[in-house]
Amino acid sequence: MPGRWDWLKEELSGISMLTKLPTMTKFLKGKISGPDDMTKCSMCPNMCRHACPISIVDGKETTSPAGKSRVGMMIENEVLSLDRENLLPIHMCLSCGCCEIWCPFDFSVSDILRPVKTRAVEHNIVYEEFVELFDDLRENGTIYEEIEDQGDLPDDGDVLYLRGCEYREGDSEVIDRTMSVLKKVGTDPFVIYDEKCCGIPAYNTGNIGLFEDLIEDMAEKIRGSGADRVVTSCPSCAYAYKELYPEFDQNIDAEISHIVEFLEGKKLKFAPNKNTDRFTFHEPCKLVNGLGKKESMQDLLDRTGLELEKPRRNGDETFCCGSGGTTVSRLNEELSSEVARERLSELKSLSDEIITSCPTCKRTFEDNDEEVKVHDIAEIVDGLL
Amino acid sequence: MKKKDEGKVDKVIDKLSESFEDNRLSTKKTDLLSYSHDYWPISLHWMLEDKFPSIPNAVVWPEDKEEVKEVVRWCYKGRVPLYPYGGGSGVLGATVPEKGGIIIDLKRMRSLQVDDQDLLVEADSGLNGYYLEDSLNEEGYTMGNIPQSLYPSTVGGWVGTKATGQFSTKYGGIEEMLKGIEVVVPPGKILNFKPHPRTSTGPDLRKLFVGAEGTMGIMTKGWFKIWPYPERRIKLSYASERLEDAVESVRKVMRRGAEPAVVRIYDEMETKRHFYDHEDIYGKIATVIIIEGDEKIAEVEREIVEEEFIGEYKGEGPVDHWLETRFNVKEASEFVPMGVVFDTIEVAVNWSNAEELYERVIESIKPIKGVLFASAHASHFYPQGICFYFTFAGTPPRKKDAESFYQQVWSEAMKAVIGSGGTISHHHGVGRQRKDWLEDELGGGLKMLKDIKEKIDKRDIMNPGNLGL
Repeated sequence: MPGRWDWLKEELSGISMLTKLPTMTKFLKGKISGPDDMTKCSMCPNMCRHACPISIVDGKETTSPAGKSRVGMMIENEVLSLDRENLLPIHMCLSCGCCEIWCPFDFSVSDILRPVKTRAVEHNIVYEEFVELFDDLRENGTIYEEIEDQGDLPDDGDVLYLRGCEYREGDSEVIDRTMSVLKKVGTDPFVIYDEKCCGIPAYNTGNIGLFEDLIEDMAEKIRGSGADRVVTSCPSCAYAYKELYPEFDQNIDAEISHIVEFLEGKKLKFAPNKNTDRFTFHEPCKLVNGLGKKESMQDLLDRTGLELEKPRRNGDETFCCGSGGTTVSRLNEELSSEVARERLSELKSLSDEIITSCPTCKRTFEDNDEEVKVHDIAEIVDGLL
Repeated sequence: MKKKDEGKVDKVIDKLSESFEDNRLSTKKTDLLSYSHDYWPISLHWMLEDKFPSIPNAVVWPEDKEEVKEVVRWCYKGRVPLYPYGGGSGVLGATVPEKGGIIIDLKRMRSLQVDDQDLLVEADSGLNGYYLEDSLNEEGYTMGNIPQSLYPSTVGGWVGTKATGQFSTKYGGIEEMLKGIEVVVPPGKILNFKPHPRTSTGPDLRKLFVGAEGTMGIMTKGWFKIWPYPERRIKLSYASERLEDAVESVRKVMRRGAEPAVVRIYDEMETKRHFYDHEDIYGKIATVIIIEGDEKIAEVEREIVEEEFIGEYKGEGPVDHWLETRFNVKEASEFVPMGVVFDTIEVAVNWSNAEELYERVIESIKPIKGVLFASAHASHFYPQGICFYFTFAGTPPRKKDAESFYQQVWSEAMKAVIGSGGTISHHHGVGRQRKDWLEDELGGGLKMLKDIKEKIDKRDIMNPGNLGL
């Protein structure tokens, strides 16, 4: 079988060594070490533009995926100075990973640009909106001002349910329904009352120092709970615990799952569907692209027997709700809402009843449209089990 | 830009800022540098070298035709250059703002509407190509325009460059798909040429804007013909001993009226490059064919191909390989930053001169000092002829900079094309890279084109310098 580069070797065989050596060296360098990832991304004609929610909605070269890398490259090359105005396009990223699906190098623009964001934070070049966030994370351990846990939830059991900042702050109903689901599948769920942020907002904004402090604290709490099984409502939290914590040397022995992943392999006996409503669904980007669960949510919903309308953008072509990645919703609220409205218009053309499995997506849709009813998947599952 | 002209631009920007909010009119450095280039290798090279010789003064993002009209009106009034911008994936510098001025990016105009009975889609010019095709597919249609730039490009860009896609042998180029067009022309007037199945009402003014690359006006909307999504897709591939055998086979297929959607014939080197893991094809001439559409018609077309093809049938594997890799543009990212000069040149020629053109272009590029390889595949076919898509790579020899080396290759290739009776561009357009050869191509027609341009755009604000106009 011929090798990948045999054609080139054959082509070069007729050329004198003196002529071919410089080119061969450059070719080899390109293949072996190559340019850095940011440069490679900058040289692409935006072959993931169609998948990037920001790029589709904002319509600007500057905030397109390769466009952001080009700005990053210009900052690194000192064509642009490292300041708030020049950093702004780089922060117009929802960290949804939709670009990665289409990239021949498997790049995530969010990952490529994180070092630039981190350098900015290290030089104390941060936005007021970030200062507020960092203060809340540092002082209260959440993205909100101090959260007072409501209700009477058990603090001992066999499955640790991490509710996440979003539901702890505003949606005790989903918390109760998730606890109910966990009980119905035969587990004994419990919570920790001093639950803190998973750290991902600090990671997204480039504050790696703060991220490391947060994850050290939270990892210790999870380890201290003694649970060997952890379930989250938020796919970003699950992604952080499963993927980012080990990368930053915070290993948790417990098996961690988002609720959709947790229910994936379970035998679930759903009651016959008496609901005549038609539903549509929105798969969160961190579940699909971050945790790699491309079909899990659809599979689970299919098992419920509900009447479902599949959106055009589904599976690994899902579209962000507009609030992913921490930075866009804080620095450009209007753009974040535009992305939400783009997704909502697609979903609403199918149904006003939307099922999702992410607290941020749920809150974002509810904030942007009073007509729609947004359900967490746990509410749906609980109602039918 | 001269100081006097900068004053004029500033005044126009001030006027526009009265109607465009901050986030849709920018003079920020990040935006200006982001629009200083497109995907023309020369402009990418500038960016890698941290050189920015063509920077606009402002960028504006309109959301409807009235806003486009306002931008054209103020630019015309202030004599400020205006450059329409779509996906920025053009490879010939058509959007490079060489004289400063204002970039008008249409990507915030992106609605679409399907008319099932008339088999038409009405699409705004800023609509993303993939978004359009995927939405159509979802509803059971295809437009069939699948360029390699499907993901980043826009509908307006397709019309502006007179683009064509990988499936054009069946579905045609964008000029055949376009049935109606809405444009804004200087000094700020909206023209609407409604879609009709055919019209005999004087010269076809719609076509004045197809391939005009933003020099005549700005397309705001188009109506395009669409097809029911093909119910059948047949994949065929062949290995031939000689390039002439494969070319002659396709000529006969086309002559009999069959229209496969995709036909691609790779010369020996490109066969080795693209199909290195298909041992039984390596070193031969690979042809991949896709026939699609109505079940019965597709079967008849398959029979015609099978009857005519000179070569050994190789099954669906090579076609699947092509389908999987057809959007891969990795090489530019890997090699261009390392100093490798790399580009493609697509041209068309009638069957009678096809062989001569292929050989002359390859022979004109290969001997140039620094060139590592030159190869081609044939990618689009007509009853009258063929499009050859050449690829070259190399590194400039000592004492020669990358840009001169690049231009030397282009120059030799263009001369060979013209000398062989071909046309200098099949679907990438002209831009700023090919403009010097346009006179050889059009002869006295170039003067006529300039006169038309002058009549429409007396103050020469619409993409000045592009196409050499």
